[in-house]
Amino acid sequence: MKYPVQSVKRLLVLGGLAVAAVPVGGFGHAWAGKADDTLKLAFTKELQSIDAYYNSAREGTIMDQQIWDGLVYLNPLKGEFEGNLATSWAWLDDTTLEFKLRKGVKFHNGEAFDADDVVYTLDFVTNPDNKITVPQYVSWIKSTQKIDQYTVRILLNKPYPAALNLLATMIPMYPNEYYAKVGPSGMALHPVGTGPYAVTELDPGKHFVLKKYAGYHDGPKGQPSIGTIDVRTIPDVNTQIAEMFSGNLNFMWGVPSDQAEKLAAMKRFTVVNAPTMRVGYLVMDAAGRTGKDNPFTKLEVRQAVAHAIDREAIVKSLVKGSSKTINSACYPSQFGCEQDVTKYPYDPAKAKELLAKAGYPNGFTTDFYAYRDRPYAEAMLAYLNAVGIKANLKMLQFSALTDLRMKGEVPFSFQTWGSSSIDDVTAITSLFFTKGLEDYAQDDQVNAALGEGDTSVQPEKRKAAYSKALKRIADQAFWAPLFSYNANYVFTPDVAYQPTADELLRFYKMSWK
Amino acid sequence: MLNFVVKRLILAALVTSAVLLISFSLLYLAGDPAASIAGESASAADIQKIRELYGFDRPMLVQFFDWLWHALQGDFGQSYFFKMPVADLIADRMTVTLTLGVSGMLFALVTAVPLGVIAALRPNSMIDRFALFLSVMGQALPSFWFGLMMVVLFAVRLNWLPASGSETWMHFVMPTIVLGYYAMPAIMRLTRAGMLEVLGADYIRTARAKGAGPARVVVKHALRNAVVPVVSLAAVQMGFMLGGSIVVETVFALHGAGFLAWESISRNDLPTVQALILIFSCFYIAFTFLSDLLNAWIDPRIRIG
Amino acid sequence: MSTTQTATELPVETYLGQLCRRAFGHRGLMFGIVVLGVVIFAAIFAPLLSAHDPYQQDLLARMKPPFWMEGSDLAHPLGTDFLGRDYLARLLYGARISLFIGIVAASISCVIGTTLGVAAGYFGGRVDLVVTFLVNVRLAMPVVLVSLAVVAILGGSLNMVVGVLGLLLWDRFAVVMRASVMQVRGLEYVNAAKSIGCSTLRIVLSEIMPNIVNNLIVVMTLEMAHAILLEAALSFLGLGVQPPTPSWGLMISEGKQMLLFEPWMIAIPGACLFALVLAINLLGDGLRDITAPENRG
Repeated sequence: MKYPVQSVKRLLVLGGLAVAAVPVGGFGHAWAGKADDTLKLAFTKELQSIDAYYNSAREGTIMDQQIWDGLVYLNPLKGEFEGNLATSWAWLDDTTLEFKLRKGVKFHNGEAFDADDVVYTLDFVTNPDNKITVPQYVSWIKSTQKIDQYTVRILLNKPYPAALNLLATMIPMYPNEYYAKVGPSGMALHPVGTGPYAVTELDPGKHFVLKKYAGYHDGPKGQPSIGTIDVRTIPDVNTQIAEMFSGNLNFMWGVPSDQAEKLAAMKRFTVVNAPTMRVGYLVMDAAGRTGKDNPFTKLEVRQAVAHAIDREAIVKSLVKGSSKTINSACYPSQFGCEQDVTKYPYDPAKAKELLAKAGYPNGFTTDFYAYRDRPYAEAMLAYLNAVGIKANLKMLQFSALTDLRMKGEVPFSFQTWGSSSIDDVTAITSLFFTKGLEDYAQDDQVNAALGEGDTSVQPEKRKAAYSKALKRIADQAFWAPLFSYNANYVFTPDVAYQPTADELLRFYKMSWK
Repeated sequence: MLNFVVKRLILAALVTSAVLLISFSLLYLAGDPAASIAGESASAADIQKIRELYGFDRPMLVQFFDWLWHALQGDFGQSYFFKMPVADLIADRMTVTLTLGVSGMLFALVTAVPLGVIAALRPNSMIDRFALFLSVMGQALPSFWFGLMMVVLFAVRLNWLPASGSETWMHFVMPTIVLGYYAMPAIMRLTRAGMLEVLGADYIRTARAKGAGPARVVVKHALRNAVVPVVSLAAVQMGFMLGGSIVVETVFALHGAGFLAWESISRNDLPTVQALILIFSCFYIAFTFLSDLLNAWIDPRIRIG
Repeated sequence: MSTTQTATELPVETYLGQLCRRAFGHRGLMFGIVVLGVVIFAAIFAPLLSAHDPYQQDLLARMKPPFWMEGSDLAHPLGTDFLGRDYLARLLYGARISLFIGIVAASISCVIGTTLGVAAGYFGGRVDLVVTFLVNVRLAMPVVLVSLAVVAILGGSLNMVVGVLGLLLWDRFAVVMRASVMQVRGLEYVNAAKSIGCSTLRIVLSEIMPNIVNNLIVVMTLEMAHAILLEAALSFLGLGVQPPTPSWGLMISEGKQMLLFEPWMIAIPGACLFALVLAINLLGDGLRDITAPENRG
């Protein structure tokens, strides 16, 4: 049998050339969009359910903002709460919150909004039998009382400073009659809310079509501008970009910095970079949960890790955008995030010295876990290697890693946390340092200080308590805080939109130029 | 023949149950999916709550028989991720995968059979060599890489075809080619070999001697005899292809069962993964069964063995 | 006696000579041998062929293009990856990974498949039934899906991937070996060995194996190619070999990020992967052709 080697070679050469020479073509296109008043947008992740209480993804929170409303609204520019479904509210005491509701609001199906809807929704989601996916958002609620048709009271288990934050973004109000009839599975297929957009077409996980709700109340979100928003799930960023080029997409977000840079250089799309509340950090097993003799139980080792990594270089070359290095175990703008803490600048020589002092002159070997941003993790790997810490990278899915972390089997990991966009350290520091299953410091001093801050409603007292906790965390290098994240938004030139730091897309703020 | 069919059916049932047991114990190893259900911002206490609610703290055998009992009734449980019945979810996604599988197989047959026939008619000609070249290439081309290169060329550079999605037939062109190309070499080789064998047989020579034209000989006499093993091979390949569509669907973001499988694995959505392994296996078993029947029908000797 | 011995030795030599002649005349086989030789050479002498350490990153020199493109740097003839690591060095060390996976996974499969196949073919009866059943079960398990699930559960690493593939790819060995053994089982010299009371193991090893080793080698090459492709696919899907190991599949997966802007990043490792698998397949086909010319097709 004879093979046509000549043609094999020729084809290989040709194929290689063709592929290597292919740049991104410049081809004009009529944009689908402005002409038919339809903005096409892509999600990277499939949405579990459009019902806000039965999904835990950022995409879900985004959809929730368009279809439903909360009692209050957090203005992202001013950082202040404004009345939404409630027009005013007041703390009757540390654990009682009273709301006066807006009159004349109607759900997409015509049902009128009043106190019964609020009581029904909150009773439903706080009832453990209903197995909501995000019980942590409502676990602070003890009960809800109807005072009259337009007044409700929410009773708290204990003082909880982030209550209004959650009511604004994570706790939408559902129509009681409709929800009682169809339940979560019906809501997932035919969602009904009071929000600026109503769902007209829905293919679970894949495709959503939202139409402007003509009867939207005049609330703080303002009236929506674009008639139709078409959301598809396209898991791959490259595919999204390809669809942008072919004119089948108007808007993408969460674009990695390298691609965003290239797209910006082409000047065909608007590329906007905005900071986000997500921070990246290294967690080390100071408590010795993975074994009493593990190197991270030694303070010098933890400090060596912090000194070993060139965070500036990682931010400059990889993370890019508006990202900054951070030194404290929280996002700088968060309430209580003390900035005056011990800092660990890049200093490999000092790192080696510290390792030797801890009894590891030749370094050591450890497992290093991560669940996202593999390039960053790999870059850190090389820095650690340079001072003698040989880390074996283990990339896991988020859920798998969380599971391991809670079992106490993760000596060293690269974590990130977005604080659910809540501008308060309760959403991050208090979550990970209060001796829970995900706490690898298990430090009594930190725990006590945080407990003091979490149960007080006096700002000055809280600030002082958090400052104490964060200083101790930095001194002990329980975490090695790395950097804040940023997000890139890319859209066609006919779209006007101003992204916000809370990483929540607001379809109702988008318009055509 | 009936005896043979019954034997094969029993075998198929045994194989299915073995696959069932293996896939369940495999995924039981995965441990506790409570954390994945709870999602990114759940606390440890929340996760413990979910663990008890879903019954993950029960012994393995209890969970297995519970699952089996329901699976036999077509109930594969609830997807942890989508909170909807796995059966509905898969039924919804399967249409895309089956469309892709069928069109891929048609593409493979439509290109491979004529090439194989021509190659057999003109052994060692340019076309024969070209066919061989294609089949050798097909076996060595990594499908995900081939898919990506096609996206670069046809979707981005030339803008002829959409890069992803499954809305129109245009969306299926590239995935069909990538998936079909994978099944082509075997079919082409078998067609060629079968044709060569048949063309050398006595009755073809007789037909030729009787003055039947070349086209008539090829189509009516030779191809008809060479095609049955090809169809039977195609059935087996179809089973493999459905299993292989996981890579293709991921590259082209086709929302089919293969893509669902990959996503579900990353999301620790065990009921979905279990059901998908089972269903892909059943497809393979069913197609192999058909292929066996076909073979037995044309070659009575097999029925005895 | 002495005359018969020379008479049997002589044809053996001519057979080898014949093989060599056929091999040199077989262009596909030669192409396979040459390409595979180059890859093996590159894998062994990787440290000499590139001055760079494949793990050495340089964040300031990320994604430098290869030599034929504008803005390239001759210090990195094939450019650098997303962490500024030398692409050529990573390709060379990646050849080691691919070959390692191909050889080890195929060897594990070979041991399992051959044992099962030979047992089924030699003993027949119930043993054969059980082995056939196992092969059926194995074939019914979708390989990609199952290996993805296993790797996702047990964690990805080079050894894990090799192990999983080794445990999944034995079916063809079993099928081919079973058929081959059945063919030679009834031959005279096997019966002769049985009649003089040789042990089963001895008969299999010294009488049967030498007669079926040709087929074994052919299947071995096919499965090597198969394992290499599967590893690349798993690594591409993110559930295979873990970084920073320079696997070609992983390089494609990493390069995929920049698919639209830097297509060379996937074109280069993809072409290497393609060439290697092609070479191994051509080698296997060629070996089959020259050892058993009647089987070509």
